[in-house]
Amino acid sequence: MKNIRLWLPGIALAGLISAGCMLISGQFTVVYTFADPINVVSPSALAGQVVDLNTISEYKDHKDNLKAVVDLAVLGKFTNLTSTNSAIEIWIVPSPGAALTNDAAVRASGQKIWGPLNVAGNSSVNVTWDQSAALFTGRQALITEVKGDGVFALYALANGPYSFRINKGAFIAVISAGR
Amino acid sequence: MKRVILAACLAVALVGRSAHAGSIGVGVFGGLSVPVVQSDVEQGSMFGVRVPIKLVPLVAVEPYFASSALGDAQEDVLGVTYTREGFDSKAYGANVMLTMGGPLQFYPFAGIGQTKLKRPGSDLSLTTYNFGLGLGISPAPKISVHIRGELAAAVDGEASRKFANATVGLSYALFSAP
Repeated sequence: MKNIRLWLPGIALAGLISAGCMLISGQFTVVYTFADPINVVSPSALAGQVVDLNTISEYKDHKDNLKAVVDLAVLGKFTNLTSTNSAIEIWIVPSPGAALTNDAAVRASGQKIWGPLNVAGNSSVNVTWDQSAALFTGRQALITEVKGDGVFALYALANGPYSFRINKGAFIAVISAGR
Repeated sequence: MKRVILAACLAVALVGRSAHAGSIGVGVFGGLSVPVVQSDVEQGSMFGVRVPIKLVPLVAVEPYFASSALGDAQEDVLGVTYTREGFDSKAYGANVMLTMGGPLQFYPFAGIGQTKLKRPGSDLSLTTYNFGLGLGISPAPKISVHIRGELAAAVDGEASRKFANATVGLSYALFSAP
């Protein structure tokens, strides 16, 4: 019975140790807003968005103690400017360098991380946070960048001869940080 | 995790037989679950069931199941308010309590369990550690009311999601032996 009575402090202590930064960790939302609007005129006239998370205080404050990226979303109003359906995707280029302006160059040097978001011809879709979080397919590539230097470029591509616009676009990451 | 919990219950049961004392009950509880330093989820309601098993003096083991509907988080971006659905949480595990007995009890407890946190685009299953304090009042034989405050830390990699839970419960002793 004496051993049994030691379970309570034992479990409590194991919990404190195993939970790591239990008492001084948390989840923080980092919001990076895009240029507004972003006009993707055609597959040969793209407009990318360089993201530098180091300009966001929530990221800067916790970057040194960043443990994980637990949620991701790309938000905004996506407007299809053609009469045919578009399946819009977001691609990441880890090292931005010179701006890429055509579809093939982005596909060659980047990786798809989000989508497809289907937008009917000549219509718009306001992407919700929940909807966007479920559209992430290349989560690990983005997590690597967020946990790395925090600088990367995002490009929006689609299928066929596409043309679309993104209004009030933004990137959201929820990070876990603690000592 | 299930094996650990079952082993814990079995161990207490075996030791308890030699002590010739104990009780088994069932209880329900409800209350509030408040995320601690989590900007992507808000507080919500919780409810659940507990099965207090006391087979040795001063010590009780209590398997539990709890369900929480956590609140939605909101973020304003360029004048647009975006909503992130709160987690649907399901948790099970077992707590060990130091109980003093009598009509008024003040007891610490700690435990381990598994918590499933689910929402669109996210489905997590995390080992969880609980600890807290409880106040038990027995207004009638076999019946007791429990008020508890606890901190639950669901370990997610190198960090954790923490919840401060405040609950009120009602327990009924199904069986008790001297």
